[in-house]
Amino acid sequence: MFEAHLNQRERQIEWPLWLAIALLMAIGVAFIYSATSVYDTMGIWQRFRRGSLTSFLSWLVHQSYSKQVLAYLLGIGAAAVFSLIDYGRLARWSLVLYWLSIVLLVAVLSPHIGTEYYGARRWFDLGFYDFQPSEFAKLAFLLAMANFLSRPEDELRAPSIFFKGLGMMLLPFLLIVKEPDLGSAIVILPSGLVMMFVAGVPPAFLKRLMGTGIVLVGLILVDVLFAPPGWRIPMEEYQRERLLVYFGKDFAPRNATAAERQRARERQLSKTYNVEQALISVGSGGLTGKGWRQGTQNTLGYLPRGVAHNDFIFSVIAEEKGFLGSATLIVLYTVILFTGIKIAGQARDRLGKLLAIGIVTMLFSHVFINIGMNIRIMPVTGIPLPLLSYGGTSVLCSLVAAGILQSIYIYRRSY
Amino acid sequence: MLIIDQLKKSDFKLQAVAMAVLAGMAVLLAGLWYLQVVRSDRYRANLQAQSVRTVRVPAIRGKILDRNGYALAENRPSYNVNLYLEELRDSFRHEYTNGVRKEFKLANPNVRLTRKIIDELERQARYRVVSNVLMHVSSAIQEPRLLVEQDFHIHYDQLRSLPLPLLKDLSKPQVALFVEQAGHVPSLALEPQAVRHYPYQHVAAHIVGHLQRDFYPVKDEDISFRFRLPDYVGRKGIEAAFDTELRGKAGVKAVLVNNLAYRESEHTPMPPEPGHNVVLTIDLWIQLAAEKALANAPFAKTKTREEVCGAVAVMDVNTGDIYALASSPSFDPNQFVTGFTNEEYKKMSDEDLRPMFNRAGYGTYPPGSSFKIIVALAGLEAGVIDTNAIYRNPGHYFIGRHRIDDTAPAGDYSFRRAFWRSSNSYFVEHGLRIGPEKIIEMARQFHLGEPTGLWPKQEAAGALPTPGELRKLDGSRWMPGDTGNLSIGHGELLVTPLQMAVLIAAVANGGTLLAPRLIERIEPQEKPEDSQIIQVSPRQVRGTVKLRPETLERVRQAMLDDTQNAEGTGRSARVDGLQIAGKTGTAKLTSGKKESITWFVSYAPFDNPRYAVVVVVEGGASGSLTCAPVARDIYKEILKRDPGILQKAPSEAHAPETGSKQVVAGTARRQIGNPID
Repeated sequence: MFEAHLNQRERQIEWPLWLAIALLMAIGVAFIYSATSVYDTMGIWQRFRRGSLTSFLSWLVHQSYSKQVLAYLLGIGAAAVFSLIDYGRLARWSLVLYWLSIVLLVAVLSPHIGTEYYGARRWFDLGFYDFQPSEFAKLAFLLAMANFLSRPEDELRAPSIFFKGLGMMLLPFLLIVKEPDLGSAIVILPSGLVMMFVAGVPPAFLKRLMGTGIVLVGLILVDVLFAPPGWRIPMEEYQRERLLVYFGKDFAPRNATAAERQRARERQLSKTYNVEQALISVGSGGLTGKGWRQGTQNTLGYLPRGVAHNDFIFSVIAEEKGFLGSATLIVLYTVILFTGIKIAGQARDRLGKLLAIGIVTMLFSHVFINIGMNIRIMPVTGIPLPLLSYGGTSVLCSLVAAGILQSIYIYRRSY
Repeated sequence: MLIIDQLKKSDFKLQAVAMAVLAGMAVLLAGLWYLQVVRSDRYRANLQAQSVRTVRVPAIRGKILDRNGYALAENRPSYNVNLYLEELRDSFRHEYTNGVRKEFKLANPNVRLTRKIIDELERQARYRVVSNVLMHVSSAIQEPRLLVEQDFHIHYDQLRSLPLPLLKDLSKPQVALFVEQAGHVPSLALEPQAVRHYPYQHVAAHIVGHLQRDFYPVKDEDISFRFRLPDYVGRKGIEAAFDTELRGKAGVKAVLVNNLAYRESEHTPMPPEPGHNVVLTIDLWIQLAAEKALANAPFAKTKTREEVCGAVAVMDVNTGDIYALASSPSFDPNQFVTGFTNEEYKKMSDEDLRPMFNRAGYGTYPPGSSFKIIVALAGLEAGVIDTNAIYRNPGHYFIGRHRIDDTAPAGDYSFRRAFWRSSNSYFVEHGLRIGPEKIIEMARQFHLGEPTGLWPKQEAAGALPTPGELRKLDGSRWMPGDTGNLSIGHGELLVTPLQMAVLIAAVANGGTLLAPRLIERIEPQEKPEDSQIIQVSPRQVRGTVKLRPETLERVRQAMLDDTQNAEGTGRSARVDGLQIAGKTGTAKLTSGKKESITWFVSYAPFDNPRYAVVVVVEGGASGSLTCAPVARDIYKEILKRDPGILQKAPSEAHAPETGSKQVVAGTARRQIGNPID
């Protein structure tokens, strides 16, 4: 009883986590506003004063930043719910959720159900929001994987278990690759691997897996970069080109004619365009940046309108707030990640620990790949920056993940 | 124990994860530091390169003024209508979707819109929108204008961020019509542009020179401009010689463009610095009189040539100031700015008239009898000519079998009579006795055969044989006949009108050879302070002719006789109340077209010399009939402008003029009337 009393008086909310999340959300709204409002001829205040209230509101709800605010509110609600639910109970449903996500991933691929944008079938059109099942699948995968690996460590030594885990990882991975959405797919791999590592899968297995993986990736790269057309593995042309862009290779094959080479160069210019513009945005921001809504890369439209507020929101912030701004973002994410690792360490059971570490790794992968692509240390993949990029599903899932972390924290010592 | 072991083990793994996360974040931070702090300049430069277009804005060109402030070259506003393309973006889009694309789909229902077709349709849509705007404006100003489709596409592709010049140089009523009927169109702007203007047109055109469109960057400008607004460079005359000063310094306009290369905004980080004014020593009144007199020269026009070809130089004998330098026929430098009609161009390139040719500086002519001044000086100085001796003139002269005719009738001639009647026999006889060396030596003292140093680009040296190794101009051997020809200013000798003016000035001022002075000063356009005024060429003495005073006096007296004596060849130059000393000359050209070069070289007043006036006319009847009346008309104008020369003491008269005020060109024109009439 006495101990229980002590427990109740202990801190239940992990404040650093939520403070960092709140700050990131505030930054997110501010810069989605900055990135999208430049195309608006009138300011918010002007519209509010000129039109009737209803017309103003119906205009406002269609703005990206208001949609984002809505997603934040929804996400915070969801996070509150998930933080109060014992993650153990959630884990019991994990297999159901996992298979549901697999069904959705298969469904989104079929032409009548999924909506196609820019040649990729990733969304369900729900009217107000476009729901992206791959985001949901990532979360479901984390739950199922944590649940699966939380069995006694001895069992993990059995190769059959290891391969089963591997299969759980590869199924959603391949389905998401098929959409195609390489970015979202790729973050599943490090999360799964790190969870296996922490769970205690024998290092020999992991080493062999990593080795095979490296050889495979190497082979794919060699194939993409150097193989003649007939020998190439089937891959989306744009993905191949993104890789070529990243490695600075010519699009044109070596034996191309001058005209082909010219065409390839033009295509390459347009492909490298986003990366180049993102680099110029980030670099020209300098130490202190140009000021909120003063970034010319965005206002003049060099950063394409379609990506500035989602995949490339980081370069908008970096241009307008400079190195100080981008370093602030890095610090905020680091706070979230380390709080997550701390929560993993304090978790009451293996399930909580693995779940927390999976969430941390997935968040980290998103942050690293997204910012890395903005500064050209990673190839371009359409992957959102958690909590900052515009996109309802991504925001919702990030906040639910944070809610689960909070739940692990709340239920850390109820044994 | 088991639990503790487990914890420790897990802690190690968590620590590994934490280290990996930390390392990842550190990599990102380092990358950001490198990009945003270390290499930031490079990306800022990239940003500039892609989003800022630097435009060279030419400065307002300085004026060219006469000594009293009348503008010979100035700038007038030209009203242009410019079209700002970025304002039409919505119209382009609208025309594309609702016009061009619909029509295309109707005409070709089964063709898929490829990128290429879309591009072409968009081009059509843009041209359609712009030509509609032009049509609207044309009907507003009541003058049909056409926009060549290709020109528009070139402008759109290459200069999208600059306004499209739609209409150029609207007249005043058109400006009013435009403002009234099309002034509200947001994409259109009525913008004045400074255009070079020569209010007196062909007057002093050879001195002022002309401009030419300049498409190339000036060498010492270190900014590499993306775009250049139209600019002009001086190609001839003062416009060319003082191009740097007149031009000023071009400014920089920075235009911020968006990703579609449309203009977003612009600012001027470096405004242009206006050029300096160049003030000439020219007196516009005398220049006008000289050109008018030259154009009206009697017996100078022929059937084949309706215009007088010739030159006039009026120079201050004490300071070297050039008051007038006329060359006929002349040209209108305005045409180099506004463009030529076919007819005008044909006239400009007429082989016979050569209007662009500055005869005052470049024209090299045999001096004819006007050279007798030099022969007389040489003869008197050498003691060969005895002023009291009488020479019996048979009316012609034989050197070997070569006969030289004499325009003076046979009879007895003293030195003075021989000079005023311009007797060839007398001067050939004495010339042979003086010898070519001494005559040439005298000519050399007056610096004939070398440029006068007027300005860098516009004069010829003429020709004079080298003493010591006498050769003809073509290099063949010198014969006694050549000395005879030389004595009457023919043959192996060519002079420019400017050289003759310098020569006469030296005779008038007692033997001081001055460099002609054309530039009074260079000063800023706006309220020049004394420190900013640059005096370009002070009075410059090139040499002094060594002569006994009585020698000079005798020749001067002879020159006075030429106009005052009833028999004098220069008598038609006479002006009431002004004593003019002069000498006529008529040189027969033996080669090329059979033509004569006629001269009148003179100075006045005789007692107190101030003005040297040299007139040369190609193909005149004689110096006496054609050139002396021209000089008379000029002297009349000089007397009107400067009546004080008759009374002024020498020291006052020669004091350099100071503080000449700039007069507004408009009033100048009113005073003068239209000089073209």
